[in-house]
Amino acid sequence: MAVTLFSAINVGSYEVEMKIFQYVTRKEFREIDHVRYRIELGKDTYTTGKIGVAKIEELCKVLNDFVKIMNGYKVKAYRACATSAVREAENHLLIVEYVEHMTGIHIEILDNAEQRFLDYKSIAFGEKDFYKIIQKGTAIVEVGGGSVQVCLFDNDKLVTTQNIRIGNLRIREKVADFSRETLHTEEMVEELINNDLESFKKMYLKDRNIKYLIITGDYILELLKRNQVTASEFQKMYEGIIYKHPEEIAKEYGIPSESASLILPSVTIYKRIIEELEAEAIYLPGTSLSDGIAYDYAQKMRYIKPEHQFNDDIIAAARIIAKRYQGNKGHIHNLENLALPIFDKMKKISGLGERERLLLQIAVILHGCGKYINLSDAAQCSYSIIMATEIIGLSTAERRIIANVVKYNTVEFTLEDVLEQQLRQEDYLVIVKLVAILRVANALDRSHKQKFEQVRLTLKDAQLEIVVDTSEDITLEKGLFPPKADYFEEVFHIRPLIRKKRNL
Amino acid sequence: MNTEFYKPEYYRNREDSWISFNERVLSEARDKNIPLFERLKFLSITASNLDEFFMIRVASLKDMVHAGYTKKDIAGMTAQAQIDLILKRVHNMVDVQYSTYERSLVPMLKQNGLEILAAHEDLTEEQKKYVDRYFDENVYPVLTPMAMDSSRPFPLIRNKTLNIGALISKKGSNEEPQFATVQVPSVLSRIVEIPSGKDNVRTVIHLEQIIERNIGKLFLNYDVVCAHPYRIMRNADLTIEEDEAADLLKEIQKQLKKRQWGEVIRLEVEEGMEKQLLKILKKEFDIKNDAVFLINGPLDLTFLMKVYGIDGFEKYKEKKYIPQPVPALMGTEDIFEAIRKQDILLHHPYMTFDPVVNFVKQAAKDPDVLAIKQTLYRVSGNSPIIAALAQAAENGKQVSVLVELKARFDEENNIVWAKMLEKAGCHVIYGLLGLKTHSKITLVVRREADGIRRYVHLGTGNYNDSTAKLYTDCGLLTCAEPIGEDATAVFNMLSGYSEPKNWNKLSLAPLWLRERFTELIQRETEHARNGGEAHIIAKMNSLCDRDIIALLYEASVAGVKIELIVRGICCLKTGILGVSENITVHSIVGNFLEHARIFYFRNNGMEEYYMGSADWMPRNLDKRVEILFPVEDEKLKTELGHILQIQLDDNVKSHILQPDGSYVKVNRRGRKRLCAQEYFCQEAVQRAKVPKDPGKDRVFIPEESAGDE
Repeated sequence: MAVTLFSAINVGSYEVEMKIFQYVTRKEFREIDHVRYRIELGKDTYTTGKIGVAKIEELCKVLNDFVKIMNGYKVKAYRACATSAVREAENHLLIVEYVEHMTGIHIEILDNAEQRFLDYKSIAFGEKDFYKIIQKGTAIVEVGGGSVQVCLFDNDKLVTTQNIRIGNLRIREKVADFSRETLHTEEMVEELINNDLESFKKMYLKDRNIKYLIITGDYILELLKRNQVTASEFQKMYEGIIYKHPEEIAKEYGIPSESASLILPSVTIYKRIIEELEAEAIYLPGTSLSDGIAYDYAQKMRYIKPEHQFNDDIIAAARIIAKRYQGNKGHIHNLENLALPIFDKMKKISGLGERERLLLQIAVILHGCGKYINLSDAAQCSYSIIMATEIIGLSTAERRIIANVVKYNTVEFTLEDVLEQQLRQEDYLVIVKLVAILRVANALDRSHKQKFEQVRLTLKDAQLEIVVDTSEDITLEKGLFPPKADYFEEVFHIRPLIRKKRNL
Repeated sequence: MNTEFYKPEYYRNREDSWISFNERVLSEARDKNIPLFERLKFLSITASNLDEFFMIRVASLKDMVHAGYTKKDIAGMTAQAQIDLILKRVHNMVDVQYSTYERSLVPMLKQNGLEILAAHEDLTEEQKKYVDRYFDENVYPVLTPMAMDSSRPFPLIRNKTLNIGALISKKGSNEEPQFATVQVPSVLSRIVEIPSGKDNVRTVIHLEQIIERNIGKLFLNYDVVCAHPYRIMRNADLTIEEDEAADLLKEIQKQLKKRQWGEVIRLEVEEGMEKQLLKILKKEFDIKNDAVFLINGPLDLTFLMKVYGIDGFEKYKEKKYIPQPVPALMGTEDIFEAIRKQDILLHHPYMTFDPVVNFVKQAAKDPDVLAIKQTLYRVSGNSPIIAALAQAAENGKQVSVLVELKARFDEENNIVWAKMLEKAGCHVIYGLLGLKTHSKITLVVRREADGIRRYVHLGTGNYNDSTAKLYTDCGLLTCAEPIGEDATAVFNMLSGYSEPKNWNKLSLAPLWLRERFTELIQRETEHARNGGEAHIIAKMNSLCDRDIIALLYEASVAGVKIELIVRGICCLKTGILGVSENITVHSIVGNFLEHARIFYFRNNGMEEYYMGSADWMPRNLDKRVEILFPVEDEKLKTELGHILQIQLDDNVKSHILQPDGSYVKVNRRGRKRLCAQEYFCQEAVQRAKVPKDPGKDRVFIPEESAGDE
């Protein structure tokens, strides 16, 4: 039996954490060590915009210790991720470079959407009732140092995910300035939260019925002491601690006193969300980002098989966005049936993989969203919408690829555009290839009438034969096809051809 | 918590109780059923105990008095009242010590062929020649006589050293005699064997007598008016300002030097010392009469340990017990394999300490071992464990060692080891700021075919292979994953990382242990109130935590049967009507020092057993890193139950605390004699004889062809 060890490092807003996991072939994937060190990087970022030299030195010291611990276990693979404290720090590029130089650890700065997706994965793996829970209206609420993330599920599908920038550390720092002037900090915290929460409710909640809440975040489990509570039990806990001094709470609940100051902002945020969503039951799986990093790794290495198709969540989230901008459902559906088979047929030649296929599918889903804003400048509008909309599970870089694919589906793609956006070479190549495929597919449904129910593809002698099975007139499609085919050929050195299969 | 149980009259002062403990040790020295030389040993122990007691306890009470601290202790006594009580009781005790020595031990020794000469005046001519020559050749070169006069101040007299004070006057002068002093060198043996001149008798004399006889040689131009031995005890309570001490190691080294200068809190002088000489000493040491002890006999009875070591009197000593092999480890070379098969309970010194040493040794060599982590509190000289750890580091293992520098009186020792380990490449942590790390835990991380496996040793005693032959302690070897996880978390915490989100099995002081004990005791109280089965048996060294005692009183009132086996200090009082009638306290003082901490809770039939490093003392629960661990294997639980029961049934070495505070030996009332320590010795020998698994014969099983099926 082979044993593989993996280390997940999370450079968070107020804590650096490392979990070491072991995978034993066909047996188990589990945590064997967990080291946490308290360091409030977020305090620097949220107050000064930068992380100070002292904190960075301290971080390097801790990471060097982590390296020692990893070596102790002979850990081969690791992934170190940083979240908002580093992400939002102006000097994040310097930090990453310096840390790598000093410790050998490469810190990957996660976009919020990536981070939340990993959190979400950790919950999906960590909460055994997850799949049962999300059959009904469910919200995952995670209170972090920098922000709160809310993901809504219904009927097994991810409905929406939103990031609200009201994390516990951020709030604590905001309130700290005037906390001397009031006795009721909790009221101020509530007010700070209410505004953001109100907009969220209006926009995304509508009349969705949220039955369950899954909450994650530090120390909330210690406060509630159980993995499942009712809303009224939560309220009771809240009332029990809200007027207490942080030190008292720390002592009573066995929470390290240095973390106690974050408890009040945290529970107030939870409380307000619970009230707004009117959830009945609250689950606390007690997982963290490190778990997500590890599960993600394990999944990629095929150590574990997820019961849940996480890509479906990303797709579902994209469909919700398309719906919001009144995308043509039939056209999208037809286009998926055209574009994806072409992608699959071209796989060997294009060298693209599963992840790019997902990007193409999302590009297809979102390709018309800009029309909602302006019909004549749809390409640019689509681009802007996609760049401004977080899609859980996708990094900003990936979203940029999608936005570009959508944009250049209809407008010409020139080298100037590449320079202007400072696209990386590998991203540029993905964009070009996906654009070529999307253009061909789109041309096949130019009329948006879904004339081709079925296509059969054959790849032969530098030709991609697209045999369509339809009785309808395809003159329009055939007429518009050549320029798309030219571009496709330019990219892949393969000429697509349309051939109509005659019905007998 | 109900405050009605906090009344001072329900508690005994801890110093008072400690003196009673030392009296129990002294009673062993007076017990005629005990071999003569063993009695010497016990008497020696009472003396060294008293020394330490003065240096630490009396000293800190003195500090309190100086600081004007008026708060009363749990028994309602001020610091001054405690000092008064202590001095009164200690004077009595010293009287008993010396009457035991002079009236019974010395005559009996003489009867049995060992003559201890008390005064050089009693030497024969031949012996005089011998000692004078011994003085000239061995003693004189290492002596440093010091005189005091107008130009030379009173010299520094070092803590615990034996000295001879003298008055000397210039030859042919009428001036006032001067004070002079000379330290009895500690590099030479305190007792010197001299020719006895008789058959079958051996004679020894005290070194100070030899010096006294020759003292004139030290002050050649003077007449020695008088010369008498004296000895002082200084305040040696090591208080370290950790907040200010940037480097703990340096600070402790500094404090060690300072210890020589502490306030003098006890002066022992030979009875019959010249008045003027005594006056000078009292003045220079700034000490009052009640702290001056006039000794009728040789000062510092710890020399009796040396007498015990004299060869040739084996028949007057307890036969040396050889720790036995551990049955669960017999017939296997691979300790890890044995631990994988089952949890292993160790009971020292009945069972050998070797498995614990081997655990580290084997780990050091095993190619699959990744890391070894250990806490070290008091380590023996040339410890094989230290050597193994160093070797492990050299073999490329990750070795982390927490060396507790603050272990009382052992600091010098500890610093040496710590530095050596660092040199070998170990990661050494020098204790934690403000906390003493008293827990005894070793973690071995091993990479095996089916993943990382953690082997843990948890104990009640220090990783000290020498004391493990003298202290009774228990240990557990296990590779249970929940404990392994906790052990990893313990070392992460000790290395400065945040505490784990939860503990599986272990309870740690100072953060969680008090709460855990509170819950466990209260749970019994609840069971008793609900008519369930409730019973607590707790064995420890000392019991003086007010909150715990109050909880025990509450439990007793609720009807919980409480049997305590407390060797030393016990501030709990038994037999208080309506408070502690259900509590009994046993104290076993025997050849081995009772040291294990075992806790049993009936829990309405779902019995639980725990062991740990902590006593029920505030310092253990609040100021130290301690670990309490459960023993969950059914076989081992039965074994622990057996150990506790045998101790409770002891009717030889067991003393029972009476409502009046005195300790009385068990009245055997015709029952069979049972000495727990002897019993365990015999049992261990028996068990080591029995083949481990009689069913497993050494029969070879031939492999046969799987052919015609």
